[in-house]
Amino acid sequence: MKKLFGMIIFVAFVLVLGACSSDSSGEGDSGESDSGKEELTAWAWNINVPVLEMAAEKFEEENPDFKLNVVEMGTSDVYSKLTTGLQAGGKGLPDIVLVEDDRFQGYINTFPDAFANLSEMGFDEQKSKFPDYKTELLTKDGAMYGFPFDGGPTGVFYRRDIFNEAGVTPEDIKTWDDFIEAGKTIKDKTGKDMIGLDLNGDDGLYRMMLTQQGTFYFDDEGEVNLASDESKKAMEITKELKDAGIVKNTVGWDPWISAMTEGDVATAPSGAWLYGSITQQGKDTSGKWGVFKLPAFEEGGNRASNLGGSNYVIMSASDQKEKAYDFMEYFSTTNEVQVEAMEGGLFPSLNTVYDNEIFKQEVEFFDNQKIWEMFAGEMENIPAVNYTGDYAVAKDEAVKAQSKIVNGTPIEEALENAVKTLKNRTQ
Amino acid sequence: MTHTKRFPYLFIAPAVILFCIFTVYPIISSFILSFQEMEGGQYVFAGLENYKRLLNDSIFWTALKNTFLIFIIQVPIMIILAMVLASTLNSQLLKLKGFFRVSFFLPAVTSLVAYSILFKIMLQEEGLFNNLFMMVGMDPIPWLSDPFWAKASIIMAMTWRWTGYNMVIFLAALQNISEDLYEAASLDGAGKIRKFFYITVPQLKPVILFAAILSTIGTLQLFDEPYNLTEGGPADSTMTLGLYIYQSGFEYFEFGYASAIAYTVVIIVAILSFIQFKVAGDDK
Amino acid sequence: MSTKINTFKRTVQSLQIRGQQTKKASTPKAKFKALWMYLLLVVFLIISVFPFYWMFVGATNDSSKMFTNPPTLSFGSEFMTNLTNLNESIGIARVMFNSIFVSVLYVVIALAVCTSAAYVLAKFEFKGRKFIFTAFLLSMMIPYQATLIPLFRMMSDLNLLNTYFAIIAPQLCFPFAIFLMRQNFLAFPSELLESARLDGASEFRIFMSVVVPSMKPALAATSIFLFMTQWNNFMWPLVVLNENSMYTFPVALSSLMGLSYIDYGQVMMGVTLATVPIIVFFLALQRHFISGMLGSALK
Repeated sequence: MKKLFGMIIFVAFVLVLGACSSDSSGEGDSGESDSGKEELTAWAWNINVPVLEMAAEKFEEENPDFKLNVVEMGTSDVYSKLTTGLQAGGKGLPDIVLVEDDRFQGYINTFPDAFANLSEMGFDEQKSKFPDYKTELLTKDGAMYGFPFDGGPTGVFYRRDIFNEAGVTPEDIKTWDDFIEAGKTIKDKTGKDMIGLDLNGDDGLYRMMLTQQGTFYFDDEGEVNLASDESKKAMEITKELKDAGIVKNTVGWDPWISAMTEGDVATAPSGAWLYGSITQQGKDTSGKWGVFKLPAFEEGGNRASNLGGSNYVIMSASDQKEKAYDFMEYFSTTNEVQVEAMEGGLFPSLNTVYDNEIFKQEVEFFDNQKIWEMFAGEMENIPAVNYTGDYAVAKDEAVKAQSKIVNGTPIEEALENAVKTLKNRTQ
Repeated sequence: MTHTKRFPYLFIAPAVILFCIFTVYPIISSFILSFQEMEGGQYVFAGLENYKRLLNDSIFWTALKNTFLIFIIQVPIMIILAMVLASTLNSQLLKLKGFFRVSFFLPAVTSLVAYSILFKIMLQEEGLFNNLFMMVGMDPIPWLSDPFWAKASIIMAMTWRWTGYNMVIFLAALQNISEDLYEAASLDGAGKIRKFFYITVPQLKPVILFAAILSTIGTLQLFDEPYNLTEGGPADSTMTLGLYIYQSGFEYFEFGYASAIAYTVVIIVAILSFIQFKVAGDDK
Repeated sequence: MSTKINTFKRTVQSLQIRGQQTKKASTPKAKFKALWMYLLLVVFLIISVFPFYWMFVGATNDSSKMFTNPPTLSFGSEFMTNLTNLNESIGIARVMFNSIFVSVLYVVIALAVCTSAAYVLAKFEFKGRKFIFTAFLLSMMIPYQATLIPLFRMMSDLNLLNTYFAIIAPQLCFPFAIFLMRQNFLAFPSELLESARLDGASEFRIFMSVVVPSMKPALAATSIFLFMTQWNNFMWPLVVLNENSMYTFPVALSSLMGLSYIDYGQVMMGVTLATVPIIVFFLALQRHFISGMLGSALK
């Protein structure tokens, strides 16, 4: 027994020492790869990984000393690691990181020195190739800190089978009031709900409606704007939907998607990326889908908005910023790469790519509707809004206000309260 | 003889050294962090600012209240359930005990991912639970969207996950109670309930205490269930201290404040555990 | 001396065996009672096992079958597809190796560290004993989120990021394991130690050849706790690992969780595979486990 115990301890220590010495050299940031090339590291999540790898391969053909190591992780894991590294003073970070639209301002405001200033490196020349809403989002104090990548132009995804059964035509839904009326008809004729919403847990619809009206949780000066007229209108629509009894309360992402694919609800207003989820989760519902633009608040009003999307940033702690910049510039502005992204399910924000035939094609899953043409046409009209560094706290308050409103608190009171608490939390 | 004197120190040294490096140092470091604030990407000294803010933070108080409510209701339910199951499984009338024992332990090892997805589906308004309720003529329950029922859902999920685990602990202890005690009591004419309260419970006391303290720590740091099932909603009704610490640090980037909450929680748990020891009358 | 040890061992064994005894339910009343008990147990059995079963169902079905209404409850034919896809996504063999290697390594070292600490805490009087034990216990109460950043900074300064050592180091001294083992050592008869000392054995020898062999059940119980802790450890490995080839199961599975694309067939296959080793470990040690907990109950 004694011998065994001793052996185990011995083996354990040898293993530990072995593990230490063999692996500490392969540390994530800018380690040397086998061939002696200096390797860059990027963090990204699932469908972004193959696109990034493909682009890196192409780039490598022209730049033989370039090598990219893409570390794949879950979306929220990227943020956990990024936040930990930044909080620890910029340690253990890669050269390139993928960050969503709504997270970007939070990071850049909390850690102003952590990200490479791309304007200084020459990215301003490329600015006109992207929609304003993206470039403004990525700008702080006049300089750009992120490469615009995919966008989330919005539309109302709907089930053709349910609409046909109820005799509702999507072309007639021009305003949110029309939308509610159509919802009532559908409920009468088919018994199905018009829309699935997580009324107590998420405010995606509200955010889309704010953006659509050119405002957000905060105004352009960064002042809390939750009690604006636009905000009240958006909450009113949400409440009317609920009061009309045409909302199915779906708590969380999966139940929401499955309500759509199972045909329990007729529509889902969302970003273009929903295409991927629907085609994946609803494999046997091909041809039953359609999409139309977000209804306006009054006839002739703006029907373009955005939900989701992401961007690449370069960490200023990277010792290969130039190389990373060259690659990311190539990545963001090369049509070939962006078409590849499109085929992988990411809707590019690079406007030079929209002439490609992939944007003109008829999509079988959507009963041969030209859905990409519609989304591409929307991009230039998406209003730029101010997310600010306090997006996360503001969202928390907005969700609570929405929850109170649909449960009976007057809109005015709930929003005024939210403004007060939010000001307190962000001072 | 000097060898013998040195022996305990030698033997505890690895643990103490590892403890100092990997536990004490980070604790001190984050304790200092709780007196700091982030300004422009740098931490600066802020005195008691974080702790002062805590006092006026309604979300913190809500989280504290929720955590206690869940604690007060969930821990007793789970412990009683675990004791019932354990004493049933301890009965000599039964076969297949090993099979049941392993099966009841399964929830503790089932993947969090799998079970949180499943619970979320079952707790939807038209989910499995409500379908069953409606079959027997009851009204559907808004499990995840009503403040009361959302808490109930969290409690149900926690109980599901940890009852079997606690049952295994109790079962081990029950098997350790001498049969003679019961026989002597029977001779004195004691009934089942008397036996339970005069023999089983006192004999189980150290184990109950043990399970209770583990559950206290677990509940006060409760994070998994609210994070996966309700995200703290609706309207903070399932916000817990563990979740709030996480959100403050990782979503609002305020690790100084998160640390302040954490150390306040530590003080609370320490007091609670002390009380539990006192109530149980155990000074060891 | 050896007879005393044997007596102690025999007591432990007899306690182990007693749990397995079954009386025949002969009288009608007893039969009726047993029926009710089975009913209760079966209800709880279904509740306990259902999510587990559902996980298997998910692993054999296509992702789109996860959220159907009514729910899919039968096994599908996508087992191989999911397995192949998952293997392409995360590299099952590598992840399985990492997880098993890290967990076993951790259990071995942590068990040695915690057992020796627990032993002297239980059986020796020395200066600082109470203080050390209290410090261990108090540290259990600190939420891990609070110490994550300083710990990460330290690992980075020591140039240990992305190593197996970094994954296991912070929890090698595991207070709960020390607590559990200490309770068991308290139940160990001190007279045995005294007589061994009179026989002239060194303290180390006594520990190795007298104490440890009779502590197998407690060691088994503690091993299960340690194994479970490391096997399910997620947040810490996630922040210290910077390469896909180093990922353990929880981290690799989490990397499947994208924004709007989640292949649940793969996820469920993954969680199923990740659960198997832990159940095997539990089954292998659970006999010991039951009586190991018993020691801690004795105090």
